[in-house]
Amino acid sequence: MRNSVHLAKRFSVCWLCLTLVLMLSSARVQGQTAQTEPAGNSIPEPAPPVAGAVTASDTKSDEGGSITVKWTEPAGSKEMGLEYEVLRSDKQDGAYVPVGELSAGDSEYADTGLTDGQAYYYKVRSILGAVSADSEPSQAAFSKGNFFRFYRLNALVLLAVFSSAVLYYITRARKAKPIYIRKIAGLDAVDEAVGRATEMGKKMLYIPGIMSVDEIQTIASLAILGHIAKLSATYNADLEVPNKDPLTFAAARETVKEAYLEAGRPDLFREEMVNYVTYDQFAYTASVTGKMVRERPATNFLIGSFYAESLLLAETGQAIGAIQISGTAEVAQLPFFVVACDYTLIGEELYAASAYLSREPVLLGSIKGQDITKFLLIVALGLGVVLESIGIKFMATAFKMQ
Amino acid sequence: MKRQIPLLLTFFAGAIPIFAFFVPEKHVGLVSTTLDSWLIIVAGFALLLGVVNVVQMNANKIKRQAQGWPYAIILLAGLAIMGFFGFAGSFNVFGGIATRPDGSSTPFDWLYKYGFLPLQGTMFALLAFFMASASYRAFRARNTEATILLFAALIVMFGRIPFGEMVSKWFPLATEWIMGKPSMAAQRGIMIGAALGAASMALRVILGIERSYLGLGKGE
Amino acid sequence: MNLERIMQVDRRIIYLFVAVGTILPIIFVVGLPVSITPPVQMAFDRIENKLHEGDIVLVSFDYGPSSAPENAPMADAILRHCFSKGIKVVVIALYPLGGLSEAVNELNKVAAEFPQLKYGVDYVNLGYKDGAQAAMKKMAENIHEVFPTDVNGTPLDQLPLMKHIRTYKDMKLVVSLATGIIGEWWANLVNAQFRIPVIVGPTAVSAPKYYAYLEAKQMVGLLGGLKGASEYERLVIDKYPALAQVYSTPGLYTATKGMDVQSIVHLIMIAFILFGNVVYFTSKRKPRKAS
Repeated sequence: MRNSVHLAKRFSVCWLCLTLVLMLSSARVQGQTAQTEPAGNSIPEPAPPVAGAVTASDTKSDEGGSITVKWTEPAGSKEMGLEYEVLRSDKQDGAYVPVGELSAGDSEYADTGLTDGQAYYYKVRSILGAVSADSEPSQAAFSKGNFFRFYRLNALVLLAVFSSAVLYYITRARKAKPIYIRKIAGLDAVDEAVGRATEMGKKMLYIPGIMSVDEIQTIASLAILGHIAKLSATYNADLEVPNKDPLTFAAARETVKEAYLEAGRPDLFREEMVNYVTYDQFAYTASVTGKMVRERPATNFLIGSFYAESLLLAETGQAIGAIQISGTAEVAQLPFFVVACDYTLIGEELYAASAYLSREPVLLGSIKGQDITKFLLIVALGLGVVLESIGIKFMATAFKMQ
Repeated sequence: MKRQIPLLLTFFAGAIPIFAFFVPEKHVGLVSTTLDSWLIIVAGFALLLGVVNVVQMNANKIKRQAQGWPYAIILLAGLAIMGFFGFAGSFNVFGGIATRPDGSSTPFDWLYKYGFLPLQGTMFALLAFFMASASYRAFRARNTEATILLFAALIVMFGRIPFGEMVSKWFPLATEWIMGKPSMAAQRGIMIGAALGAASMALRVILGIERSYLGLGKGE
Repeated sequence: MNLERIMQVDRRIIYLFVAVGTILPIIFVVGLPVSITPPVQMAFDRIENKLHEGDIVLVSFDYGPSSAPENAPMADAILRHCFSKGIKVVVIALYPLGGLSEAVNELNKVAAEFPQLKYGVDYVNLGYKDGAQAAMKKMAENIHEVFPTDVNGTPLDQLPLMKHIRTYKDMKLVVSLATGIIGEWWANLVNAQFRIPVIVGPTAVSAPKYYAYLEAKQMVGLLGGLKGASEYERLVIDKYPALAQVYSTPGLYTATKGMDVQSIVHLIMIAFILFGNVVYFTSKRKPRKAS
């Protein structure tokens, strides 16, 4: 009996102690939410998942000094809001320094500014709030320069197809029958426009655009200027070419001089025919529009690259009653020319003008080659639309330019 | 030689940037960017040539007392005054060419802000008036295409202003559709055609087939 | 009534109406409401939702004084948005005719509204660089080589903000306020080759061209002309009410005020177009009636 009571007492004491311990523990946990616990007493945050399979290799198709680091993202990285830091060292067990920061969703980083031939090692640090975890280091990677940008292979193929088509038709042009080119009203009207100015005894104004000779539209414009200058020399019409760009001015002067020489009338050429006005866009426009209003030319040619001044020039010319032939590949300015000018060369018609006016078989051959390429592109576009619609992304990838 | 040298220079000047586009070799890229820099330097010297031409022409006009010769005096005076303050300012005379640290204007800056900029703004502002007169003349329903153009223009002009949305929410929606679909498609078509035309022209120029810009005559 | 003569109305009468329509809304401010279009909303959302405090945005001033009435309000709105959100801004200018003066004026004006921000820490102006395309390509390798100093001549290594910015990879976004072709180069060259997101604020006349780039996802937003600028101002004021005070400063030119003028002038042009067509059709019908 005495043993049972003793046991019961012991059991009660143990039970009381246990209850006390449990109560104190629960108070401590609740207390943690109300007051700051000293360091070392808080439950540590779990470490974020580590990036897997970190590989480092030379960046392809570059001129050297770059290594691309790739890794596998842990599952749920985006939902977690994981961030990455790429670390680099020149020794596998050496000190690593951070070189880049990325967010979840990115699993590739190109490190630049490196020395070719030197070994580099990489780790990827996963960061979640205040905690982080490093991956295993990658194998040694070495950067080196490459000789070809393989991501531009599609551009090279397109260039090859285009050049081959153009060169083929240029070569064939001399031997084959004359190549057909469709009527371009603006270019057919050039003779009529020059004739009009001659009959009226008024001058022709040729504006070769506002850009320099590094712009291909300006070169196309100078080609047309040569043709018009030759006609002007033949008919003894008065021609003036005001320029905004100094290089264009120098080239235009040579073009007009040679054209007059070729027409057999070098005596008619005067240096002030081709003049430089000013480099400022609107000062140039003010000068030319003032000239139009005062001198009232019979014919205006606005051919080349234009920007905001296009409507000012064209509308002033329209107001004075001049016949106007314009041409530009600036898409934003085309509507202004179409509205205010009698004839407009749109985009590629400007580039075809030298071939059209001269009817040189070689030049016409290049137009045909260009048209064949355009036809192939139209086929590719149609095919691309069909393939994209059924979910095959081949064409979009094939034509992606970097 | 007179024909060959410019054609050779054109060939190299055209071919090197194309090569640099495909080949990342440091030295090719360096030549390509060097060519870009040379263009800027050559343009600077050509600017000098242009200025000489302007002075010559206007001086002749004053000498011959040709029509409008007083304006030639104003032009040369403007050139001289801006040129003088610009040159002097580049050697830090008068405090330079920009606004002084205390906010006051140097002479060049003053002329730029209160002479040049308002004149430039005036010319640009003329566009509004010219656009009105051009629109009045152009947007007539002469045929089917012109009628479609007329309606598209009216919808876009009305849809781009708050009144359009006040009248009907369909105006801004129709405007965005016109800008984002048929207009964009047409622009793309012209851009692709123009790009091919430019590429063809560039190829002809690089290969020396197109020479009229050099004043060399036939493209044989 | 001589319908032919009415149709050939002297263009000076049209100019007079446009002049009155331009001047009156400036004197008597109308305050028309602004509706938001998707391209502008996309641009705003990009900065508001995808960028965080401390991110770097490159703002390129690719326009000059001639198009400042359209482009400057865009620049101001973008800068105010970035500064309000704590985004750091690197300003450059690539337009040769006045890009630098616009960059200096607009940045200084907007920065003065945020006195808590420090030059060199929160924003810098690197100045103008010639040869826009070459500069854009070179910035992908090392921006310090393109701009060795800032606009005041301070070496970039001495500016805390620029110490860690070397290439486009260190930036989150490029915003180009453009007139002409430079804006296109940001979209079809820089975005295509270097994959940095681009927003362009072109003038209204160039804006239709940029829809192609927007649709092709080479741009993440578009502010087309004065309308685009006024929409962005509206979005910024709605999100950051403190800016409403700035925008209601008397005498301050804003895109919203400019849109009043544009709206009235558009109405005048529409009226003339309709008038011209009515007269055209009436004159076409008259000879038939007579016969």
